[in-house]
Order: sequence, then structure tokens, then C-alpha cells
Amino acid sequence: MKSFFDKTFQTPLWFKEKGFNEKVSRRSFLKSAAGASAIGLSSGMALPAFSLTSKDKNTLAELTKTDPWLTLDATLTHLLPESPSSTLSHPDRGPSAKDINALAYLHQVMKVQPISVDEKEFIINGVGWLNGFAQSEQGKPFVQLSFQEKEDILRIISNSNAGENWLTTLLAYLFEAMLAPSAYGGNPNGIGWQWLEHQAGFPLPKVGQRYFELPPRGRTKNEIAIREINTTKSNNSLVNLSPVNNPSVKRTNKA
Amino acid sequence: MKNVNYDICIVGSGAGASPVAYSLAKAGANVLVLEKGPWLTEKEFFKDELAISIHDAYNPKLTDEQHVIEEEFHNEDGNSFWQGEATSDSGWTWWNGSVVGGSSNFMSGYFHRLKPIDFRLKTEFGAIEGANVADWPISYDELEPYYAMVEREVGVSGRVIDHPHQEPRSTDFPYPPVAELPMSSWIDKVASSIGYHAIPVPRAILSEPAMGRRSCEYSGYCSSYGCASGAKGSGRAALLNHAVATGNCTIRPNSKVHKIATDSKGEITGVHYYDSVGRKKSVSAKIYVVACQAVETSRLLLSSTGEKFPKGLANNSGQVGKNLLFSGGGTGRGDFLFNELNEKQVNELKQVGPFINRALQDWYAIADKNFSGANVKGQAKGGTIDFLFHQNPISRAIGTQWGVDEQGDDKLLWGDALKQSMKDEFTTYKTLRFEVFNDWLPTDDCFVALDDEVTDKWGDPVAKVRIGYHEHDLEVGAYLAEKAEKLLSALGAKNISSSVSGYPATNLMAGGCRFGDDPKTSVLNKNCQAHEVDNLYVTDGSFMPTGGSVPYTFTIYANAFRVGEHIKHRWQVVAETIV
Repeated sequence: MKSFFDKTFQTPLWFKEKGFNEKVSRRSFLKSAAGASAIGLSSGMALPAFSLTSKDKNTLAELTKTDPWLTLDATLTHLLPESPSSTLSHPDRGPSAKDINALAYLHQVMKVQPISVDEKEFIINGVGWLNGFAQSEQGKPFVQLSFQEKEDILRIISNSNAGENWLTTLLAYLFEAMLAPSAYGGNPNGIGWQWLEHQAGFPLPKVGQRYFELPPRGRTKNEIAIREINTTKSNNSLVNLSPVNNPSVKRTNKA
Repeated sequence: MKNVNYDICIVGSGAGASPVAYSLAKAGANVLVLEKGPWLTEKEFFKDELAISIHDAYNPKLTDEQHVIEEEFHNEDGNSFWQGEATSDSGWTWWNGSVVGGSSNFMSGYFHRLKPIDFRLKTEFGAIEGANVADWPISYDELEPYYAMVEREVGVSGRVIDHPHQEPRSTDFPYPPVAELPMSSWIDKVASSIGYHAIPVPRAILSEPAMGRRSCEYSGYCSSYGCASGAKGSGRAALLNHAVATGNCTIRPNSKVHKIATDSKGEITGVHYYDSVGRKKSVSAKIYVVACQAVETSRLLLSSTGEKFPKGLANNSGQVGKNLLFSGGGTGRGDFLFNELNEKQVNELKQVGPFINRALQDWYAIADKNFSGANVKGQAKGGTIDFLFHQNPISRAIGTQWGVDEQGDDKLLWGDALKQSMKDEFTTYKTLRFEVFNDWLPTDDCFVALDDEVTDKWGDPVAKVRIGYHEHDLEVGAYLAEKAEKLLSALGAKNISSSVSGYPATNLMAGGCRFGDDPKTSVLNKNCQAHEVDNLYVTDGSFMPTGGSVPYTFTIYANAFRVGEHIKHRWQVVAETIV
């Protein structure tokens, strides 16, 4: 698939599982009435824990110099802007993508949370498709477009099936960045809860207590064998890529 | 003589299992509990929407462990057929809390008792065509002392009031009601003005510290969230912790039982399970108890074939898995628009922490000749209506990204339009919801079998669940929903709607191993002992021939305490004989 407008695109399973595909789904309605939603956890492997230290902030700043994070940052910022001169009344303006650490949250989703490989690929592929379309329409990558040009480009892709799914995925992560506990990297000091007058529950998880850090379930022998192979692989690759261990290696910004 | 390791081996650790473990360990029996999930404590429960509702983190991944759900479809010729879909394809989880203590960790804890008529539904209301309605082999009076025992031992907070459908009680509630929201008195006032009787909902939540547990801390997130204070009466917090403290109860978490093996005489030789690292283990005991929640209990028995049990353990009658029950009914809602209310009312609505705790049971037995679902005497079994607020902000935000363009088509919103939409969603109104609980009639189209193709991650066949429903359930549900809507309307709510359907709420399941006096039509006898296997008991909700019109957990607890007493006497006799 090469663009958002590919007719062969079918809404992927992981997207349907998130429940925002069907606008009124009886199943999710019943389940949400019961307090839980009809969502299964997709497969994927968690990488080592991540929290937003000043070092991480520097890393993020570094990451946003190139794609895909450059374009993702610009897209999130456009979807949830700062609204300084908007017509919204002051209390309605609310926090921006930057205010809620949306990029850090998305980075954490991609690097730390065990979301499916398919979903990660879709998010990254969308960056390529968005820039491809911006190039064909305006002769420039998305980040270099004016506000209105970005608006027009996003509106056109939102009318394609894949484009709508891609934007909805990013919007869903904006909601999470705004309204999930801050241990996940967004919603600093509960800024999103405050804006929407939502009273959070307690206790809230800290880093080390997030959903993917709960005590493990029983595993099969096969799962344990696969995990050992993967751990060895990822340990090796982390050692090779880490600037700390090998300052001569330049960081690649591959997601 | 086989090597017997334990007096009692219990498969599962939830509301059906924990009372047996508690009673027997306190009596001095050597008890083993095998639980598939991990053993968490209060320290591992957070008010984390990502963990609870977005990622369902206290349950298995559907790619690891799943179900196949069979629904009825009609082809072009009008013929119907049943088609299964794996839940790893649909994303529809059927797990309800796969951890020590089971789904009781995540329950709302609405602890309504069944009423005397629930024990003799067929006698009271007559047979219904297409439904396998049967009276229970025990009466309310036989279970009543155990409801009282649960209120005491698990800890139920409540208040008895005079009510047309109040069931007989031998005792008062041991704990005063938990704190209530202003909405509770709004409902009381309006209900009486329209001739309804709003009743306080008993909750399995401690309103005072007791039994080594803290009281409720009113975080505002309760239903479906694990409790960090220990106030919620999960089987783990309320019973298993005490069972372990006796020194007589061993809990083995991450232990997935896949078969109960029998010899050529049909006697149980042991329970086979996979341990936390996938090794095959087995253990034997004098008495075996299965309580894995209805679907998984039937699955385990069906999987446990042997020379004497070619169709599965205790299933020579062919009854295992049959007459599975859910809860009929549905949900409804109405919005309170802040701009129609005064400041005091808005502030009262915005309060978070305490509970609404109001229910309607005025139509627990319907006497209405105009009701299409009534019998010739104009009577029908009705149900319960409960009221609640939702919290989950991420779930609430999902949907705010949809707006409408100039042509009236759906349009994805972002930027200032999205912000306005979010702000409006969260700050201009509050939704009051209700849930209707009515009987899910047992039918031949609602049962558990083993799937022929799909297996779990250990390679064992998963449960295939056929989810047919009886039309009567929808009629009753709609009748009750209309009554609830009338209350919302009288309260001044707007945008009132309700939804009653035949889709089961998967957190409310029972049946599959009916108890009864006739071994041909039931799996268990009145003591929940298998007709076909002397030392096998089933103590979760599987025993119920009909489910009543309230959530199941309280009755599962009470029955498990009742059966626990029976097992205790049985074990004491066996212990004396051996000495």
C-alpha cells in the first residue's frame, strides 16, 4: 500500500478492537455498562521502562529533527493546537498537544507499551503517506506547509478510509495523553483532568506499576523460549546502538 | 492406595471457590487452591483506565486464551444457522478478571438477595414455551442463613427498609450503608412522587474498617476497578487472605488446570495443570471442587474425558454446559443539562466519590394484564433496576472527535472544533445511567461446548459458547426499561434512551451444571455434588437452573458457603474414618 487512498485498504483488527470504529456499538455499550470495554490486548513486546526525565526530553528534541517524529509532532500539534488567537473563549481553549506531552506520550506508546507491531507500522507508514500526499499537492513535506495548507491536506486524507483511521488513531492517543495517569508520559500534573473538570481516582499508578508492568501471567514453555531469544536479540541491539556504550555510533531515528 | 496430597483441591479462586477454601481451612482441612492467573494484592490495583478498560490488563490476551462465540444468522432463504467467531478476531473478551479472587476483585458489589419466588420460578409463573425453566431443589429458607453469613463474613453495608418486594431476613446488615451522593435523595424524592419505591442497594463494600481491611476511601472509581483499600469484598481480600492465615490453605497462582483425570472405575486420580513456566504437574486430593466461572467450569469438565466419562467428567447425562445463563435486560441513560439547573443542583451533580446506591424492584414480580409477556393470570417474573454514574474519561472522550459537516455527514474534528467538542462533552451535562437485570431464560440455544479447531496457548480446545436468547427476556427487559425511563423523565433528565438486546453481558454468567434431584436432567445434586462423581463438587454459579433478576455474585458466595458446610461435614467424617 502506497497512500491513504489505496482502495485495497481494510480497517485493521487492532483498530476495530479499540472500539472507536463503530460509533454506537451494542457490544461495547453493554460492556461499558458493565464497566469494562470490549478491547483485547494485542501482541507485542514491551521494551525496558521509560519515563520522561530531562535526558528523555533531550532525546525527544533530538528525535523530532527527523522523520517520523518530525511529522508526527507537527501532526499532533495541528490536531491539538495552542489556540492563542482562536475564537474560543478562554476556558475552552484548553491545553495543546505540547502542554499534554503528546509527543512524549506517543513515543512511549511506540517504544514502551506493548501495542501490536501492525499498529506501530501503520502509524509510521501514515507519516510516509502524509508526506507523499503533501509533496504531490504542494511540493513540500507536511511540516513545511502553512497552517491552512496543513488543514486542507488533513481534511482530504480524512475522507479516505486509511486516512480517517490514521487520524483517529492519533486523536485517540491525544485523548490518552490528556486523560491517562501521568506515569504514562502525558497529562503532566493532571493538566487534562483539570481542563475537563474531571476528578481522578486514587491511587494512581507510578512508573513500574503501569498496566504492562503488572505481575506476569503463567507462560507456556514455548513462550519462555521465544522470550529468551528476543531478550538476547534486543539486548544486543541496544548495546550496539546505545551512544553511552559506543559514542561513535550515531543514533538512528528509526522507530 | 493413591498418593493423596491434600484434603481439598479447589480449581479457581473467585466467589465460588473462596468460601469453600475459607470454611475448610478454618476447620483444619489441608486446602489447595489452583488459580490460572497471578496473585495480586491491594498494592497492584490502581484507578488506571488504561489498565482496566483500554487494555484489559487483568485478563489474558485474546491471542493467548480466547473463546469462540456462536451467533445465529439467517440466510437468504430465511433459514437460520449458527456461526462461530473466535474472540481473537472479534475483540470481544469473555474474561472477567483472571487473577486470584477472580472477577470478584472487579465487581460492583451490588448485593441484592434472590427472593423466594426465584427458587420456584416454574411453580410461580408456569412453563414458557422454548425455555427450560425448572424450580430449584432448595428453597429461599435454606439459603437465607448463608446470605446472612456472607453479609457478616464478606462484609455487606446496607439498610433495611419496608418495601413491597422485601425478602425475609433473619438479621440486619452488619455494616451501615456506604456514603451516598445527592442523586440518591433526588431519586428517593421523585420515585415516591410517581409511586415507585426506591430502595438502598446493599454493597459488598466495607463502610467501616473491619476484619483486617480498611473501609471504603471513596475514590469515585469502583465498579470494574480493583480495590486498593481492601473495602471491596472480593474473595481474595475477604476470604482467601484469612484462609491462608490459618496455615492450612495453599494458593498456587499461575496454575492452569486443563484436566481432571479419572481411572477405569471412574474415580478421580488427580488434577492436571500447567505451572507458571509451563511444566505439566498433577495433584490429588480427597475432595475436588471446581469453580472457574460458568463457561470455564463447563469447559474443564467437558475436557476431562476418561474411560467412564467419554463425553466429559460427570457428563454421562449430557447435561454439562447446557442451560447456560446470563442476565437479561440492558442499559439506559438520561442527561442532566447544567444550563437547565441551578448552581446548587449542578454542584450536587458534580460530586464524585460516594455512591448512588438506589434500585427499583417494584416490578420484581409483574402483575399487569396488559403486559404482553405475562401469563394467563397476568403475571410475569420481572427484575431489578440499578442506577449509576460512569467515570472513565478516556472512554468519554472517544466520540468527541466526531462532528457533522454542512451536508450533515460525519466529519472528523480537530483543532479548536475538537477542543470545543471535548469541553462541551465534559462540562455541560452529566449522564445518569441505569441497568436492568431480569431473568435470562434457559434454552437449548445457550450452552457451552468445546471448539473443534481453536485452542489456547497451551494447545487445549477453548470453550465454544452459543449465545441464543429467549424473546421473552427482551419483552421483560423493555417493560422494566420503560419504568426506569419514566423515573429519569420525572427527574428532569433529557436525551433519555435505553437499549435492551439479546446480547449477553459477559460479566454476568451462571448455569451449565444445573443442580437438581434428577440425575438425567441435572449435573449436580442439591448439595452441588456431581451425581456421577462422589467426591466432585461445583461451587461457582454453574449450579443455577434459573438465575434470578439480580447480579450473581452474592448468591454464588452464599451457595458456596452452604456447600462448604456440607463439604466440611463430609471431610470431618472422612478424616475420622481415616484416623
